Amino acid sequence: MSVQSISFYNNFVTILTFVALIASVGLVVYRIVKGSEAAADLLGTNAIWLAWIVALTCTVGSLIYSEIIHFPPCRLCWFQRIAMYPLSVILLVGAIRKEAQVKYYALPLALAGLAVSIYHNLVQFNPSLEGGSCDPTNPCSARFVEMLGFIDIPFMAGAGFIVIAVLLTFFTKAKE
Amino acid sequence: MTQKTKPATTSKTPRNKATLWWIIGGVVGLGLIVALAASIATEPEIDESIGFGEPVVEGDILPVFAAGTEDVAVGLTAPTVTGADWNDTPVSIEPDGTPKIVIFLAHWCPHCQAEVPVVQDWVDAGNLPPEVELISVATSTDRLRPNWPPQEWLEEEGWTAPVIMDDQIGTVAANYGMSGTPFWVILDGDNTNLARISGEVSVEGLDAMVDVAMSSLD
Repeated sequence: MSVQSISFYNNFVTILTFVALIASVGLVVYRIVKGSEAAADLLGTNAIWLAWIVALTCTVGSLIYSEIIHFPPCRLCWFQRIAMYPLSVILLVGAIRKEAQVKYYALPLALAGLAVSIYHNLVQFNPSLEGGSCDPTNPCSARFVEMLGFIDIPFMAGAGFIVIAVLLTFFTKAKE
Repeated sequence: MTQKTKPATTSKTPRNKATLWWIIGGVVGLGLIVALAASIATEPEIDESIGFGEPVVEGDILPVFAAGTEDVAVGLTAPTVTGADWNDTPVSIEPDGTPKIVIFLAHWCPHCQAEVPVVQDWVDAGNLPPEVELISVATSTDRLRPNWPPQEWLEEEGWTAPVIMDDQIGTVAANYGMSGTPFWVILDGDNTNLARISGEVSVEGLDAMVDVAMSSLD
């Protein structure tokens, strides 16, 4: 893949990351201002579809990085994949079946993935958390993408987990 | 026999309209993002050979260094390396009677990025005695990773030690048993391996390495 194509792709996912974060903030503000009932009614079961689109985008996006651009996933990247990839299946089934209860299956995965993303970001900002040297093949501390000085792949993954968690927590009302 | 008649679906329901707007909005939004990303994408002219050299390595390979265990390569003769820096200035690691401290650096490695200014400050402060030579090897170079090419990074850091540019398969690093970066090898004047270290080294560690190198002159 040419450097220009990689640059384009990095720009694309960086913009998506911003969109995800801004949407998350907007949704949380809406939930706070309007209350839980209004939040649950705003999107209805479309919230699950939206969460699925985010999970699918993250899944495909990470596969493009590893299989087309050939950035090898590090150990912590794999843990995040373990959390994200099932979401693209679970949320699809939940959305098709209009099954709001899917939040109870999907939310733990999203939150676990978010926790790993946060730790991975900390490692990239403070490499000594993962030892004093770089694995010459693929250390978790190395940044393959560095946009605007702080956006890298685990940051993008974290944004995906955040928007999924917000959609499921505040905008998907499961039957009691 | 009764026949069920299906209600005619002539007009779009509000729900269908809402879905349609969602789809249109999504497609338009995605298109805008693609257009924006394409407009700010850069196209640097890339020379694939930048960052690499063609070092010649002669001698027996050192076993891979295993951190936390006794280095089995201590006392073995390290291979002779004949290479050059990015300006094609010859640089070599050879048994010329001068003890050497060799550091292997990867441009994308955050530990190397942290180590280089520490070492340079230490050198600038006059802590490297003239009897000992510091040589660096730029290895594991990958144009797809950040901070590429290594020569720009090292020049920005004011790096003064001679640099050997490793080749695309990391021949020098492999022959010295590198297991992680930064990677240090202390050699006596006969190219005998006195010690190898993987990871960041403090100023005190640098002083200790000099002591080891100097001890070979006794």
